[in-house]
Amino acid sequence: MYRAGALGVLITFFLIIWATVLMPMVLFNPKPSGNGNVYSYDEKAHADPARGRRVFVREGCFYCHTQFTRLQDRGYGPLVKAGDYVFETPHQLGTARTGPDLTNEGGKFPSEWQKAHLINPRAVKPGSIMPSFSYLSDKDMNDLVAYIQTLGNGREKKVTAYVEAPEEYKLALATKTVDTNSDAAANAGRGLYIQNCAACHGMEGLGNGPNSISLEKKPANFTRPFYKQYPDDFWFYRITEGVPGTRMPRWGDGATLADPRGGILTPEQRWYLVAYLKTLSKDRDREETVDNLRQLNKVKVEQLPILTKEQWEPPSGGE
Amino acid sequence: MLVDRILSNQEGSASRNFMISAIWWSLFAMGAGMFAGLEFSNPDLVHNVPQLAMPHLRMWHVNGVAIGWLSMGYVGAIYYMVPSLAKTRLWSERLGNFTMWAWNLLMVGAFCTLLNGVTEGREYAELCAVLDVMALVALACISLNVYMTIVHRKVKKLYVSLWYFLGALFWFPLVYLIGQRTFVYLPGLNDAIVGWFYGHNILGMWFTTVGVGMMYYLLPRTTGNPLYSHGLSMLGFWGIALFYAPTGTHHILQSPVPEWLKAIAVISSVFLLVPVLTVLTNFFMTMKGKWQLMVTDMPTRFTVTSCMFYLFTCVQGPFQATRWINWYVHFSQWVVGHAHLALLGTFSFILSAAIYYGLPRVSGRQWHSQGLIRAHWWLKFLGFWLMLASLTIAGLVQAAGWQFGIPIDQWSMQIRPYWFLRAISGIMIVLGQFIFAYNTYKTLYTPARAEAKARAKAQAAEVRA
Ligand code: HEC
Ligand code: HEC
Ligand code: HEM
Ligand code: HEM
Repeated sequence: MYRAGALGVLITFFLIIWATVLMPMVLFNPKPSGNGNVYSYDEKAHADPARGRRVFVREGCFYCHTQFTRLQDRGYGPLVKAGDYVFETPHQLGTARTGPDLTNEGGKFPSEWQKAHLINPRAVKPGSIMPSFSYLSDKDMNDLVAYIQTLGNGREKKVTAYVEAPEEYKLALATKTVDTNSDAAANAGRGLYIQNCAACHGMEGLGNGPNSISLEKKPANFTRPFYKQYPDDFWFYRITEGVPGTRMPRWGDGATLADPRGGILTPEQRWYLVAYLKTLSKDRDREETVDNLRQLNKVKVEQLPILTKEQWEPPSGGE
Repeated sequence: MLVDRILSNQEGSASRNFMISAIWWSLFAMGAGMFAGLEFSNPDLVHNVPQLAMPHLRMWHVNGVAIGWLSMGYVGAIYYMVPSLAKTRLWSERLGNFTMWAWNLLMVGAFCTLLNGVTEGREYAELCAVLDVMALVALACISLNVYMTIVHRKVKKLYVSLWYFLGALFWFPLVYLIGQRTFVYLPGLNDAIVGWFYGHNILGMWFTTVGVGMMYYLLPRTTGNPLYSHGLSMLGFWGIALFYAPTGTHHILQSPVPEWLKAIAVISSVFLLVPVLTVLTNFFMTMKGKWQLMVTDMPTRFTVTSCMFYLFTCVQGPFQATRWINWYVHFSQWVVGHAHLALLGTFSFILSAAIYYGLPRVSGRQWHSQGLIRAHWWLKFLGFWLMLASLTIAGLVQAAGWQFGIPIDQWSMQIRPYWFLRAISGIMIVLGQFIFAYNTYKTLYTPARAEAKARAKAQAAEVRA
């Protein structure tokens, strides 16, 4: 009788292995769809995305970030197909989404942003709950960012600009009435900025205006180098729509694309602001760092974590 | 002699050493879980220490509790229960102690590598190739030892616990072998399919089967009631053998793997209700007339709590395995809650029961303090409910966020209070585990007081009687 039992266990188990492990190996052989990630990106000159993937694995990013989009997901780009994963071993599908899906992350943010985000997520994404990876070496960090920037690049049309406003704002460019590169416009914008924005974003755009004390999610610091990569329409879009989930107002509130004249600030005023904000971004080596900021008359001196890569340190870190 | 000290031949020593090692590693592994929990609620807690980065802690936590605490404790319990059911000695106590050392070495290796990010990057199969080989060798030694014990048994009939143990020791080494895809290269999605075959069956063909075997052993022993029905127990065994193994794909139900595989997984998941309910009916009928033991006898209390959690786990499991529920709760902390309900609720409780029942019998010492056992139970029980409640609520908040396409920035702050509660619950649970460890230490290494106390207790009981 026990022999029959042992035989039964053997047979059932091997049947199951046959059905759920061997059969899929035979029957399920998706052909490469051509939409998978290509790890040799333009940035290859600076960094190696294939190595970046190994850093991604090593740092266990997949415990919080998935790499497959589902039917019901919104805002994560095109749906994946089986053939997209042929060269993805070990698979990084992930099982939990503590953070957003990264399937099509490439090109969503400037590389500098990504780097700053890895060093201190809360500096560029107020209220973020992602841990900081400031301990990564410069090489690891660059490769990792290169990897992030390749994600989904085979799927969407090749990313040309890192930062893209929604389609309708590209149309808004056509109706632009202000020369956003002129000094005069920037000067006009400066006045508007002092009136409307300085209370939060600070006189110098450092994100340390008096109101920032009371905000859980701190205002943006416009001196960061990656703002250089923001095109005009993206600035316009951010000012018009505000930043959902933060206190940043929707300055275009009340306006519609059909009748853009409404809004707290008129489109013209918003374009002046774009012209001004564009001038604030500093080169990386000239970006204000914490040490300098300590000497500034800041409203609240944040207790900042000690980071190794000071040039990206946030002016108002923590939360 | 040195050999006798290191590879002791004393009866019960392998079992005892495995149990002690399990408790030892549980402190580090659960401590890491607690620390990861603290980092979730306060992401700026540590900076610039790669060993304490949340993903590294998580890897070590999961491997530490699964391969250290649960697996080592399971082997210790098997080494005690199998000989006692076969009415013989363990086949080779020396081989048992050898595996104990090998497994501890494996854990040291895991501790050093995982915290430094040496990983294969697959959930539950993170260990690097060298450690995989070590684990396989150790598992083969354990299987050999147990099978030989059975061959030399003194009783003809095999009790159902033995069915489960023998089954598990056949399944698990194979599953482990299949799960470690170190030496084969599989394309991405096939990698995921095999990965979750393994990821699920380390739970189903090892933690569940051995855990249920222990419940079958402990309930009749601690209550003194005979098992309610042998027929039901066989039905349960074959149900688990048939329906557990093919369910792996329910972990990646929404990824682009073949639909037929998903269908097999979902159907078997729902069918799993059958064995689970027969097993539990059997348990609860066995308890008949003896429920009051839950108040007085601590191993019984741990066992019955564990059975209750098992019921809960396995009602929740098939529920979330169905496509429309999975559609909603997948990716969220709800699943982490389920994982802890199963491994922390059900199987850590049954393992604690086995140790509370078995350790005095293999070491010949009475527990140092009953009060500390109670403290352990209460801290774990309350801590666990707090954890499950907070994770489930956090999971529902997350699920709603994903479902309605609201960007994460807008609700990530909303789950932090629940994560804070989870961190508190973690502190309670780890405290409970420390009390457990302290009690074990006192029991085993301070003989005089423990025995004196036990004698005093016995006298007091006599006087009262
Ligand atoms: C504890 C979980 C966790 C871990 C581990 C983690 N992240 Fe995140 N990540 C988040 C959360 C939460 C967000 C959303 C908030 C934000 O943008 O900071 C996020 C956001 C991101 C974003 C921005 C996505 C977007 O489109 O807004 C990127 C890119 C990213 N993470 C990359 C990584 C990388 C690379 C790693 C590994 C080194 C990693 N993350 C590890 C939780 C995590
Ligand atoms: C109530 C305080 C407040 C006021 C007033 C305010 N902002 Fe903001 N702003 C914020 C916060 C908070 C954020 C979010 C920070 C982030 O996303 O990094 C933000 C973000 C932004 C961003 C997006 C930055 C990015 O990283 O894309 C832009 C652009 C911006 N503000 C421009 C303005 C302009 C122009 C004005 C004045 C017309 C203004 N803000 C007034 C609080 C404010
Ligand atoms: C014996 C006890 C425990 C066992 C068996 C256990 C098991 C597990 C398992 C299997 C996972 C993976 C979950 C998943 O991927 O869905 C996990 C994750 C985790 N556990 Fe535990 N755990 C235990 C105790 C604890 C304790 C006491 C804490 C403290 C708070 C804790 C905190 C965590 C955290 C923070 C994670 C990461 C969750 C995530 O990635 O979102 N665990 N644990
Ligand atoms: C009737 C039985 C069960 C069924 C049908 C079931 C079903 C499921 C499903 C569908 C998931 C994936 C959820 C998701 O990611 O969306 C899951 C996760 C999990 N289950 Fe179960 N479960 C059952 C019992 C158990 C038992 C007994 C254990 C423990 C031994 C267990 C441990 C886990 C763990 C640890 C996870 C988390 C895996 C991860 O993502 O890391 N489950 N279960």
